[in-house]
Amino acid sequence: MRVKRMLSAVLTVLIATIIGGCELTYTVTDSSPTSFSIDNIAPFDEAAYITVNDNQPFFTEKEYTSTAYESYGELDSLGRCTAATACIGTELMPTEDRTSIGSVEPSGWHSIKYDCVDGKYLYNRCHLIGYQLSGENTNEKNLITGTRFLNTKGMLPFENMVADYVNETDNHVMYRVTPIFEESNLLASGVLIEAISVEDSGEGICFNVYCYNIQPGIEINYLDGTSWEEGVSDNISDDNAGYIMNTKTKKFHLPDCNHAKKISEENREEFIGDREILLADGYVPCGGCNP
Amino acid sequence: MTVIVCSDDDMGIFFNKRRQSRDSAVTKRIVEITRGSILWLSSYSSQLFANERADNIIADDDFLSKAQNDDFCFVEGEDVSDHESKITKIVLFKWNRTYPHDMILNIDFNNFTLVQRCDFKGTSHKMITEEVWCR
Repeated sequence: MRVKRMLSAVLTVLIATIIGGCELTYTVTDSSPTSFSIDNIAPFDEAAYITVNDNQPFFTEKEYTSTAYESYGELDSLGRCTAATACIGTELMPTEDRTSIGSVEPSGWHSIKYDCVDGKYLYNRCHLIGYQLSGENTNEKNLITGTRFLNTKGMLPFENMVADYVNETDNHVMYRVTPIFEESNLLASGVLIEAISVEDSGEGICFNVYCYNIQPGIEINYLDGTSWEEGVSDNISDDNAGYIMNTKTKKFHLPDCNHAKKISEENREEFIGDREILLADGYVPCGGCNP
Repeated sequence: MTVIVCSDDDMGIFFNKRRQSRDSAVTKRIVEITRGSILWLSSYSSQLFANERADNIIADDDFLSKAQNDDFCFVEGEDVSDHESKITKIVLFKWNRTYPHDMILNIDFNNFTLVQRCDFKGTSHKMITEEVWCR
């Protein structure tokens, strides 16, 4: 059920997001003959990312600067992130280790674990501009709900490449990450990452890629971020999740257990998989629902 | 000839006609291990060595064809498969990180034996692994 979704993802600052019926249009301050449409993106097929516009970013020359800055678009009316843009330089990079970002719940967020996911958690809080590049941590305008696959196989390799280049050359890189939400979905379908090095006019860094927000082995409802294992017909919500964990008391429950319903949001996690894994992790079955 | 190459965790070496990464500690190490021999590389790669004092470096975009048995070749985006029979030794620098790639190292390591391995800290990499493989 694809409706026209055009992103004129090109210039300085996103100034408005207009949601009208099923059409989502991002309007920018200036226009460009080049635009990005997710309709032109091939369906996911193993590779975590796909090149866009022959790897040429949509930045215009007048956007180039060798003065480091970062700019985060306002959340839209559905509470979703818009584009984040930066000129990455060593002066922007963090000098301290990252602190917890658990207090931010981006649109479509669910804390849910699967056996088949590396690190178990399906979703990560994904920085649009990676922490290693900007030092920006708990900014809600910079965090989206992204799969583990998107985070580690899609976005991280590009962040690594840019970080190394900047650290080794002391040059600057124009860098923009735009989450792509289809229609009124709360979970992004993917992110568009554009980057070009400034001082050497792209000789060191130049790419334009779309990274898929998918997780192999897991089906996702992008409308609200609910998920289920491939081959299982029903999606997983609080009503039919495998188990509900209380990370504070280290007890686990059936989804319809009264005790589970009283768990506070910060201590509540969903788990899909073998209960033996929970037991091995030190969790104890609830005496009431006996999961 | 001895091939010197850098790769990421997926054996990737290049993305969009550009190197995945760089580290001046690796550049210095390459100068060190090739001292006294010819080091061939492309005009693209020569920029990495612009600040190094090394008169044994020859930049030539057809260097894989011209290299002799005792020479070193620093490979970045070149396809070495047509010259694999000439390769007697490989010095592989592993970044121990992942980067995007659209070109991987096209050498069959089954034809080589790992004879040496060490780790060192880079200027922008926590740990770089240097491996030496001999035929």
